[in-house]
Amino acid sequence: MARRSDKLKPEPKKEGLVDYADDEPSAFASMLGGLIEANVESRIEKRKDFSTLVARVGIWVNDIDEGVTLDFKGRGGWLTVHNGLVPNRTLTIRTDAETVMSLSNLKIGVFGLPIYYDEVGRGVAAKLLSGKLKIDGLLPNVMTLNAVTRIFSVQ
Amino acid sequence: MMVKAFSAEWADAFKDEVNKSTAYKAAGKGWKWTVGLVVEAEPDKHFAESRGIVMDLFDGEARDIKVGPAADAQKCDFVITAPYSRWKQVATKELDATKGMLQGKLKLKGDLPTIVRYTKASQEMTECTTRIPVEWPDEATS
Repeated sequence: MARRSDKLKPEPKKEGLVDYADDEPSAFASMLGGLIEANVESRIEKRKDFSTLVARVGIWVNDIDEGVTLDFKGRGGWLTVHNGLVPNRTLTIRTDAETVMSLSNLKIGVFGLPIYYDEVGRGVAAKLLSGKLKIDGLLPNVMTLNAVTRIFSVQ
Repeated sequence: MMVKAFSAEWADAFKDEVNKSTAYKAAGKGWKWTVGLVVEAEPDKHFAESRGIVMDLFDGEARDIKVGPAADAQKCDFVITAPYSRWKQVATKELDATKGMLQGKLKLKGDLPTIVRYTKASQEMTECTTRIPVEWPDEATS
């Protein structure tokens, strides 16, 4: 019993909603971590997703040859950002820098679904269809991708 | 006409280019914050002192762009800092500004969601800098 209750206890947070696995987070890791933290702090509608999402999401940017892993831990809202891709990822997004920016500019529509019919959305959909945006693990994790998009979106 | 890099004349030319851009006018709609560019000194490249470019941008228009001390630019709502040679790479299209920020080659200070929301506007501003014929101090012949 004691072991079970220990498992339910949240790990001690360092500071804020986001922490970094590496002593020296890369610029990309700091930027994504900072973006998500600012988004969640300033937009109440993002907190529900952030506080419940448990997933490891890798983002690899082909044209800068850098990536991060966003380790959403749930537990009321906690994210650890790793430099590079770490194992056991739920989803891995591979694309160019411009598309990463487009992903964070996707508008969210009714039922919390990303909008793919406006200019930004069509651009993202076209990259997906042309193979310039690849998402490993997409089919079994569409709901997770939608939740990540809602957290990540600045719109 | 060639203008000296990051001089008062360059700032005027930059402002003209921004205000000529219909793409910036559309993408910058709703923007209401000041932007400071800090160009750090590189004496070995004949750029002896750091300079600050203060941009008063409002709703798709450049109301004013001035060159002055770096400290003035550091007071802006958004501050992007890089050494002279990095800015030169941006202005000559050797370095994409978005990639530069993701790689930490250009250091950004300010509210990240806001700047990400205006990615298109910042890309167009970068395009505007590439249209200015510039005399680079490290390429000067005399």
